[in-house]
Amino acid sequence: MKREKSLAPRGPQLAAPAGAALVIGSIAFAFLLGLLPWPVGWHWLVPDFAFLVLLYWNINEPHRAGLGVAFLLGLLVDAAQGVLFGLHALVYVIAAYLALSLRRRLEKFSPAAQALQLGPVFVGKEALVLLVGLAFGRIAIDWGELASGLLATLLWIPACLLFGRLGGRPVSVQASAGEEK
Amino acid sequence: MATAPQAHMFVREMGLPLRLALYLIACLILMGLDARYNTLHFLRSGIVSVLHPVQAGLARPFLHLEEAFAFFAVHAELLRENARLRENARRQGHALQAQDMLRAENAHLRGLLGLPQPAGFVGQPVEIVQAMSNPFARKVVIGSGSLQGLAAGWPVVDERGLVGQVTRVFPASSEVTLITSREQAVPVQVVRNGLRLIVSGSGQDRLLEVRFLDMHADLQDGDELVTSGLDGVYPPGIPVARVLRTEPPRHTPFARALCLPVAGVGQHRQLMVLQRQLAPAAATTTRSGAAATPPAAAGTRPADRP
Repeated sequence: MKREKSLAPRGPQLAAPAGAALVIGSIAFAFLLGLLPWPVGWHWLVPDFAFLVLLYWNINEPHRAGLGVAFLLGLLVDAAQGVLFGLHALVYVIAAYLALSLRRRLEKFSPAAQALQLGPVFVGKEALVLLVGLAFGRIAIDWGELASGLLATLLWIPACLLFGRLGGRPVSVQASAGEEK
Repeated sequence: MATAPQAHMFVREMGLPLRLALYLIACLILMGLDARYNTLHFLRSGIVSVLHPVQAGLARPFLHLEEAFAFFAVHAELLRENARLRENARRQGHALQAQDMLRAENAHLRGLLGLPQPAGFVGQPVEIVQAMSNPFARKVVIGSGSLQGLAAGWPVVDERGLVGQVTRVFPASSEVTLITSREQAVPVQVVRNGLRLIVSGSGQDRLLEVRFLDMHADLQDGDELVTSGLDGVYPPGIPVARVLRTEPPRHTPFARALCLPVAGVGQHRQLMVLQRQLAPAAATTTRSGAAATPPAAAGTRPADRP
């Protein structure tokens, strides 16, 4: 008992890893959220919820949601939207790779600071979807779509708080640790 | 970021960049296959036959909500709409009677001239389940599929004109590509002078364009365009668009015309899919003759509709 106490970490409390059910369930829920009948004129503004949740778990639970999950989710989105198979899969895999390589750095920042750093990923993802579509010649390009990337960036903060609460991760501790530089 | 110094003692899995490369290659192969060949339809069909019912189920509560709001619509408004619809029905009844007479006369004249009877079309009402939310294709999903006898290629109309074409058919749902989609083209004819053109989608919501217009072509603002029926896909005479304005050639030898679609593309929930039905007289002609009819009739068609 004594020995255990001396070895106990003095830093921020460690969170238990989120369960597979939570990870897969939340991604599935976000995917269904995207399938809701959004108003027809406002599709350009609807953020990609599934992508947002995927990125969150890429960063916080990389062993549960890696490139493979990104790939499969991308294929599902392709089928649901009736576009070329592999288009969203390609973009999601690239974004997941970025998130997985940035993960160690992002862990130390507060949700708002994370959103600031992930903004280019969210907007870049929308741009990449448009550009890949352009390469395969099936497009009337509408740069208004990039706005949904910005909205997703803003949604990162509530998503962090929500999943932090659900996954038992103490968000406020991370936020205070973000000011170390 | 280097992945080598990880917490694992023995790293046996592939590095992140290598896995990324493998997935990227898989994606590119998939996209190539899907763009060039039709090999992935079974996969798409499998996924979609699960997804579309789920989607329809998700949309249902919102539909009920909409209906609940509609329930409280003002009484006077309903009365006004009812009067308007009755007026419409009367006007269309007159037009229909005249059309029946013309059709009978046309069939008689065609019989005299020995021309094959044009194919008839029957409508099948369908309902839009979902509008697709991607910028590449202006598409909607309808709640009928191969189980209801639909097939790819059939035209889709509303009460005013052409809306689109069925492009992918799944067991209980289908995708309809709207005429405003950029890759969609419809062969049309100007009502005023019989000039044949091809109208394409512009990729914007309420705009069509004639891309390669002869700069001396006789096309004026306000001209009505109807399907010519020469493609063998669309029945002749469905209103498609009205010319908004013509643009003189710039940098290219061709002029360009912008048109407004006549149908409420992307406005309704209910649509009609048209199914080709061979007329009895046409069924008696040879099967190869039926396929060859459109090009053979190309020369004669404008002459018999002055």
